[in-house]
Amino acid sequence: MLLGIDVGGTHTDVVVVDGKGVRAAAKVVTNHENLFESVNEGIAVMLREVRPTEIGRINLSTTLSTNAIVEGTTEKVGMIVSAGPGIEPGHYKIGDHYHRVEGALDHRGTEILPLDARQLEKAIGACKKAGITSYAAVSKFSPRNPAHENAVRDALAAASDFVTLGHTLSGHLNFPRRVATAYYNSAVWRLYNRFADAVEKSLVEYGIRASVNILKADGGTMPLAVSRTLPVETILSGPAASVMGILALCDIATDSVVLDIGGTTTDIAVFASGAPLIEPDGISLNGRPTLVRALRTRSIGIGGDSLLRVNGGAVDVGPERLGPAVADGGVLATLIDAFNCGKSVTHGNVEASKKAIAELAKKSGMQADALAGAAVARAISAIKSAVDALVDEINERPVYTIHEMLEGRRITPARVYAVGGPAEAFRQGLAAAFSLEVTVPRDYSVANAIGAALARTTMSIELMADTEKGVLIIPEISVSRDIPGSYSLEEAGEDARRYLVGHLGKTAPGERVQAEVVDAASFNMVKGYFTTGKNIRVRCQVKPGILEEYGKGVRQSC
Amino acid sequence: MLKAKNKLGLIFFPAFDWAISPTHPERQERLLYTQDQLVEEGVFDIPGIKEYKPDIATIADVERTHFCFPDVKSILTESHLVSAGGAIKAARLVMEKREDRAFALVRPPGHHAMKVVHGSRGFCNINIEAVMIEHIRENYGRKRIAIVDTDCHHGDGTQDVYWHDPDTLFISVHQDGRTLYPGSGFTDEQGGPNAIGRTVNIPLPPETSDEGFLYVLEKVILPILDEFKPDLVINSAGQDNHYSDPITNMRFSAQGYARLNELLKPDIAVLEGGYSIQGALPYVNLGIVLAMAGMDYSYVREPDFDKEAIRQEADVTHYIKKLSREILDRHRRARDLVMRGMPGNYFVRKKSIYYDTDGIQENQVESIMVCDDCGGVLKIETISSVNPLCLGVEVPIGACERCKSEGYRILEEAREKGKHSHIQFINRKDREYLRF
Repeated sequence: MLLGIDVGGTHTDVVVVDGKGVRAAAKVVTNHENLFESVNEGIAVMLREVRPTEIGRINLSTTLSTNAIVEGTTEKVGMIVSAGPGIEPGHYKIGDHYHRVEGALDHRGTEILPLDARQLEKAIGACKKAGITSYAAVSKFSPRNPAHENAVRDALAAASDFVTLGHTLSGHLNFPRRVATAYYNSAVWRLYNRFADAVEKSLVEYGIRASVNILKADGGTMPLAVSRTLPVETILSGPAASVMGILALCDIATDSVVLDIGGTTTDIAVFASGAPLIEPDGISLNGRPTLVRALRTRSIGIGGDSLLRVNGGAVDVGPERLGPAVADGGVLATLIDAFNCGKSVTHGNVEASKKAIAELAKKSGMQADALAGAAVARAISAIKSAVDALVDEINERPVYTIHEMLEGRRITPARVYAVGGPAEAFRQGLAAAFSLEVTVPRDYSVANAIGAALARTTMSIELMADTEKGVLIIPEISVSRDIPGSYSLEEAGEDARRYLVGHLGKTAPGERVQAEVVDAASFNMVKGYFTTGKNIRVRCQVKPGILEEYGKGVRQSC
Repeated sequence: MLKAKNKLGLIFFPAFDWAISPTHPERQERLLYTQDQLVEEGVFDIPGIKEYKPDIATIADVERTHFCFPDVKSILTESHLVSAGGAIKAARLVMEKREDRAFALVRPPGHHAMKVVHGSRGFCNINIEAVMIEHIRENYGRKRIAIVDTDCHHGDGTQDVYWHDPDTLFISVHQDGRTLYPGSGFTDEQGGPNAIGRTVNIPLPPETSDEGFLYVLEKVILPILDEFKPDLVINSAGQDNHYSDPITNMRFSAQGYARLNELLKPDIAVLEGGYSIQGALPYVNLGIVLAMAGMDYSYVREPDFDKEAIRQEADVTHYIKKLSREILDRHRRARDLVMRGMPGNYFVRKKSIYYDTDGIQENQVESIMVCDDCGGVLKIETISSVNPLCLGVEVPIGACERCKSEGYRILEEAREKGKHSHIQFINRKDREYLRF
């Protein structure tokens, strides 16, 4: 049996799923001061329905790290950065303890300038004085050669409780993102581990002996033990839970658009042939781009509680939300109230809605029906243009080969899936605007918790082999070994798969994983007119998906 | 946080699946390390810098620019249409004011491709800047355009395409043709009879350093640009003047390239040559990107940069100063120095062109009507080792009535006589493009 928990901003949703479907589901109010309490309460509620020993796997999505970063309640981090030539690294300063140490590597990982041991010692001294014990070390091009970051770790051995090494976060190049990601990882490390301790302790007390996994923004999970050193990977997993929920409920096979319509916002995701699309580099948090892999989603300020306003005859919807709809006891007319003036779907106190809309119409010299109609049309068209922009952006993404330029696949959505409170009310309008069928799955109120429950382990690695130097490196899992000059692209693909599956076999045992090579390229390195070696790059992933043995039970006719 | 002062569009298209041949300098990984550097620096995340996918140039884009024999499809591959399309995308971003400036980091290059194309020369099949410029003129109106070619090799193709165009100022700064391919680009090459002074060549001596390049930029290039008052400035941004380039002998650095772009302020830059793909391109391209975006580039430096090793010798400095004076003097007196002939007569040149990449030999007779009212009707008869006698006729943008009717007369006469295997007719005035 699976237990899925999604700690959201307002509610914490919990479900228990077995092979036949959803066994139990509940919503508890999220306790912002103590998210662990919300998790604990959610589990307690479920244990009224099922026995602790029946639960084999717990998947948890939490806003703990996100909240701490956004609200600035993280701990101070000693940031040790070495950059080499390029953009001046001071531009990427983050936190109050950002120290630059001379030292440089080039794009092939060759050392240009050794790490300055004296400057490093000075930086560590300053951090110690400030009482810092959580550190992050990032050097430019460290995924090509982690030596400088490792040297910082060794120098910190006595002074630190924890050090994030940039290269372990991602094999992706992008120094500024690596700086921000490593900083956030160390900033939430202690807080997150206290939370993880509390969860583990609580499970023991309940007598639950399940494997515990944490949801990531890419729609996959990682084992709790792994998340203890990579807490940054837990940020912004909320939208992913909903998207995975729809994937679990509906057997999506075509290019599709998924809308999660909430009170304040609508989250948009796009599926290609039934698979959710991933952000090319990583998600942004607090205005800083990171290397955290995430589903490609967009959020716009249109939701059921979006405020209605009339400006010179034009009706505006959102992005402000100043309170619930009048239908739910609010004061100011919102989009829900406009929907309540129509005939198709109603919600809450319809009469109150109509009265509020009529008053707003009178004030603006409009007819109530016209105002309600215009508000709904405005909201639908805002969603439509945001979807079109996202699909265009995906189709216009840069490509780097003639082949992709000429044969590259384009996304053409064939269906729209909508979930969330007001989804049903939107259905007709969306269908007309998109000229597509719009599906609203039945159990959508806990789709996010179902998504969390059924999410599989995901992971992505980048292998880089340089046959001239005779080395292979996979930074994420600290693989580094010698290779012969004859090492080929085929061998690299095989190795990438083997290392990834092997790694997951150790960290997430018992789960059947399928590793796929998503990018593989081999370039000749030529000096003069002679080939001196090959530069091989392979990206391999276990992509997001749902646990198939449970998928059948929850699937509906969508 | 960083922010670009000038909104900059980047069209990055490394064509990772295309090469002239496996060990040819123009091969798959030429921009691989540049990509590594730009991505690692987070350039594409900087607010104000945005990456775009290239357009694909059309056959019509090529046909309004070049005479291609036997036809367009025979002389190029899809890669050339994508590369030219990358330049076109850069132009569209700027012309439609979506970006302040744009840089097309694309390959294969184009500045050795001439008006007539029988095949590939100097790694170039079609002239991607010219295809872009004529796309601009076709879609956004007749513009005064200046091209500053900073590739180490003389931009003989671009010079040839615009030799007769009074609306285009072509300035090429390169290593002296007596010491490097293609062996042209001397100070006395100043444009055809209807475009005298619209071509300016600055042949620099080997071992010219940042100092020399920036000297000619400030003393020669910028003053001539000011006088021309272009609507657009385009940089053919070759990067083989770099001190580490394997096939040239100059001493230019990434700092120098960045400073050059900061001063030149091109609206559009298009990558040309540059084959020091590990030691130069990553840093030079980064420097150009930052300079075009109006950002600080002072920290951009090659790993092996050694100021002393690339210091410019005193005799080189002396030579460049003297050369600059000569070029400015020639430019001012161009009308006295270039033989023009009487309006209404043809000015005829015979040219022998070797296509080094494809091993083709071409012989041309080029005739231009000397005209005071327009660019003049152009007629080129050409024969090569791959094509029998062919004819190209062009009526320019803004052609006068005489040159236009002369164009049609030449075409009819040629068709009657039937001695050409292929005829291509370009009428830019009325947008009529014919092929026989």
